[in-house]
Amino acid sequence: MTGRRSNALTIAMAVLLIYFLLPLFWLFVASTKTVGDLFSSFGLWFAHDISLFSNIKQTVTNDGWVFTRWMGNTVFYAVVSAGGAAFLCALGGYGFAKYRFRGNAAMFGAVLGAIMVPTTALAIPTYLLFSKAGLVNTPLAIILPSLVSPFGLYLMRIYAQDAVPDGIIEAARIDGAGEFRIFFQVALRMLAPGIVTVLLFTLVATWNNYFLPLIMLNNPDLYPITVGLAAWSSQASAGGGTTGAVLSLVITGSFLSVLPLIAAFLLLQRYWQSGLAAGGVKA
Amino acid sequence: MIINRIRRRTAVGTALALAAALALAACGGGSGSSSGSASQAQAVSQSDIDKAMTTPTDLTFWTWVPNIQKEVDLFQKKYPAIKVKVVNAGQGTPQYTKLRTALKAGTGFPDAVQIEFQYIPTFALTKSLLDLRPYGAEALKDQFVPWTWQQVVGSGGQVWAVPQDSGPMGMLYRKDIFDKYGIAVPKTWDEFAAAARKLHAADPNVSMTNLAQSQAGVWFGMLWQAGVKPFETPSADSVKIDLNGDGSKKVADYWSGLIKDGSVSADADFNDAWYQALNRGKYATWLTAAWGPVFLEGSAKATSGKWRAAPLPQWDAGKNVSGNWGGSTTAVVQGTKNPIAAAKLAEFINTDPESAKMFATQQFLFPVTKALLADTSFVDRPLPFYGGQPVNKLFAGISDTVDTKFQWPPFLDQTVSDWNETVGKSFANKTDTSSALDQWQQRTTKYAQNQGFKVDQ
Amino acid sequence: MSVDTADRRLGARAPGRSQGHRQRRHGVTHGRTGYLFVAPFMLVFVAMLVLPLAYAAYLSLFQERLIGGTVFAGIGNYTRALTDPRLLHGVGRVALFFLIQVPIMLVIALLAALAIDSGLLRVAKLFRLGIFLPYAVPSVVAALMWGYLYGRDFGPFAQLADKVGAAAPKFLTPDWMLGSLANVVTWEFTGYNMIILYAALRAVPHDLYEAAAVDGAGAIRTAWSIKIPALRPALLICVIFSVIGSFQLFNEPQLMQRLAPSVIDSGYTPNLYAYTLAFTGQEVNYAAAVSFLLGAVIVIASYAVLFITTRRSRA
Repeated sequence: MTGRRSNALTIAMAVLLIYFLLPLFWLFVASTKTVGDLFSSFGLWFAHDISLFSNIKQTVTNDGWVFTRWMGNTVFYAVVSAGGAAFLCALGGYGFAKYRFRGNAAMFGAVLGAIMVPTTALAIPTYLLFSKAGLVNTPLAIILPSLVSPFGLYLMRIYAQDAVPDGIIEAARIDGAGEFRIFFQVALRMLAPGIVTVLLFTLVATWNNYFLPLIMLNNPDLYPITVGLAAWSSQASAGGGTTGAVLSLVITGSFLSVLPLIAAFLLLQRYWQSGLAAGGVKA
Repeated sequence: MIINRIRRRTAVGTALALAAALALAACGGGSGSSSGSASQAQAVSQSDIDKAMTTPTDLTFWTWVPNIQKEVDLFQKKYPAIKVKVVNAGQGTPQYTKLRTALKAGTGFPDAVQIEFQYIPTFALTKSLLDLRPYGAEALKDQFVPWTWQQVVGSGGQVWAVPQDSGPMGMLYRKDIFDKYGIAVPKTWDEFAAAARKLHAADPNVSMTNLAQSQAGVWFGMLWQAGVKPFETPSADSVKIDLNGDGSKKVADYWSGLIKDGSVSADADFNDAWYQALNRGKYATWLTAAWGPVFLEGSAKATSGKWRAAPLPQWDAGKNVSGNWGGSTTAVVQGTKNPIAAAKLAEFINTDPESAKMFATQQFLFPVTKALLADTSFVDRPLPFYGGQPVNKLFAGISDTVDTKFQWPPFLDQTVSDWNETVGKSFANKTDTSSALDQWQQRTTKYAQNQGFKVDQ
Repeated sequence: MSVDTADRRLGARAPGRSQGHRQRRHGVTHGRTGYLFVAPFMLVFVAMLVLPLAYAAYLSLFQERLIGGTVFAGIGNYTRALTDPRLLHGVGRVALFFLIQVPIMLVIALLAALAIDSGLLRVAKLFRLGIFLPYAVPSVVAALMWGYLYGRDFGPFAQLADKVGAAAPKFLTPDWMLGSLANVVTWEFTGYNMIILYAALRAVPHDLYEAAAVDGAGAIRTAWSIKIPALRPALLICVIFSVIGSFQLFNEPQLMQRLAPSVIDSGYTPNLYAYTLAFTGQEVNYAAAVSFLLGAVIVIASYAVLFITTRRSRA
């Protein structure tokens, strides 16, 4: 571990980096173009007119500011689901890690096995059950299924195993603290990096969720951004009455929609990296 | 008539069903309906209608027509008691998927819904649509172009929807490209093929047209023009499937010949590559529907002034026939609590002169009423994108040449999906389209049999 | 280096380091409290996963026809699925996808993680975040972007090929399609896997490296004989997730279908097939059976991976 650097390695990695950033660069370039230039200029470079701001304005105000509503919905669904999922996982993971009770291993195994269930297998029956409960076309239809994160539970269990030393729990018990008080006042803080990790990954999962809201929601006012963009995109592709101009909205909208998640990952990177370390090593 | 029997059995007990079952009385004798039985629908009385239209009511209307609130506002102005909530639940297939799941769940479905012509039998089969005869829909018949009305009428005489807009097919062509290569506007498909080969020889980067590998709608339009009857439904539980008869094979051989030698392309349509191709002059023509001209204007701005419109080339010189691609209707959903108000909404927005004209002039939907197609302020309007040609006039003329007897299958989604994987695939891979037709026929037949239909090939 | 110290500090706190003290779990006396802790998760789990699944199992035993209504079908849907050539082709295709795409993706992810961890890179942090960035992009957007780049006539690659006089790459043809999809998936998930591996590398005890350096081992030698073996558990996680992801492949082919509808047919992947059956063919019951069988395939494949790797490590 000396301070020497390898130029060859840096260049090789730079090539790889270009590959990963190229489509995003295209997206940025495309969102600066007018509809006409979008179809008639070279894709990977800017056209003569830079109309990024007018595109943004058009995208955001189109159809009575529906884009901002979709973004707001997405943030709401993602934050509530991710917060709830992280809390359930922290509580459950701690329980599985720190208590011995009948069925511990069996239950945990069942949860892990559930990762393998294909999502489409669940979508239709969930829809039918939700409609019987009157939950279809409400925010709960998106939030409730997103509260279950088997991977999150797995991560939290592994993390809790070592991050919260048994000795500290024991000491707290001797001091007369109740089990839940120990969890909330002692363990929770130690679990923070793990919780942030689960929070971020469920945040991504809900943010990118497409299939579930697609079938659960009928009312465009409740759409998250993915379904909204796909709806615009299918307007552009279904023909009959609408025009290719929508495509420009789809592109600018896509560009705007990826910014918040990227920002969240950049800001919180210290946490999720250490949280993941636990899951990876102890597998 | 089996359809009446089914209807009676499932719907007895509800006021709705009573009305529907007795509606045949209004059908005018001689239609072969089971006269004398108790299965005839009774018209809802005017006083019931008046009462319903003055009772405060909330309606939900699913449609993807942009800014349709303007038309709906006219309706609400006339009937202040009725509040209509307009919901865009997706365009075409996504909306149908939602409608189906909502109907299956029994909650969350709208009162009125936009449905494309070709999907009416599919939704009629699953008893998702309300017969509009009891609400006076039959009286509207004469206001509409005959083939559009025929498309909304069921095999038992039911009126499943009110037409909203249509897509009689014509040909948009690049005058500049035709001029450059000395091509005259083709009047027959033979001339079209000759022009295609000439153009391909002169410039391999331009194709005469693009027959999209993803667009079963155009294929059906081509069959329609050629007088082919791919589907007939003699009764509700039987279907006649003829996807690979002589007529179809003629059309198939024609196109697969052109696609194989490269003079016609088969790119998937309505994606960005296709938009770019239109903007950059890859296609010399677009075989499209009456809604196509305005659509193109918005999508290929770079080519303004270069396009013109003409009728579709003909199979027989001197004839003048066309088919239809696209267009929608307004239907009322079976199970609505407000059948009268919903039926009147469907009627009003499509027949009120002001509302119907708004569809044509604000949303640029191609009209289905005889009055609008004769309205000079609509048909004579010159379009600068087409060098000042009054394109609407041309398509209004074409609308009269659409055959009235074309029928859709009661399971369109599956038929289209199978088309993509047989006929569409043969376009893409430049393989034999004729044998793809046989596969299409076989898959569709098997599906129908699996679903319990009596299939007559 | 200074860029990485913050992580290192956190890494030191991370529990992975302390492999040694796997304590006995706490006493039986508090066992019942354990139920209270896991109850909220398990309740939601049962309501949102087990219940719908049971309902789907129930549905899969019936057949609903457009004409004639619903009849009990027993295992009829399952026997039909097992002999359905389109389903079998789809399973074969995703298996192929798994065998080709996953090794490529994981090798890239591994090399990138090792490179970033090696300390030999300039601006290592930029690389780490840049490669991870695609993970934050919804697949709806990813498919849109790549679909444009793949464009046959006017996509940038086609235009570049045209400029140098080469034949345009045929990304969307039947022969290339699986590769093109593999590329999108690789693009989306390499960074995710890289981060898991990198995080695991950060937790490898530092003294091992120093010992190796004393022995005169170079960077490559250290990577091969110390780092990669230490990554085994993390790699296993990545492989298992990739099994699941590959066999459930849905979003990317579904969204790319528009570009090449005749190449990506409704049976292209098993999940897409189940979706089409349910929503296009209205065969909900058969779709449920197909999904169940797919779940079984995934379980078998995951166990196969576990079995192979654990046997090798024992040998």
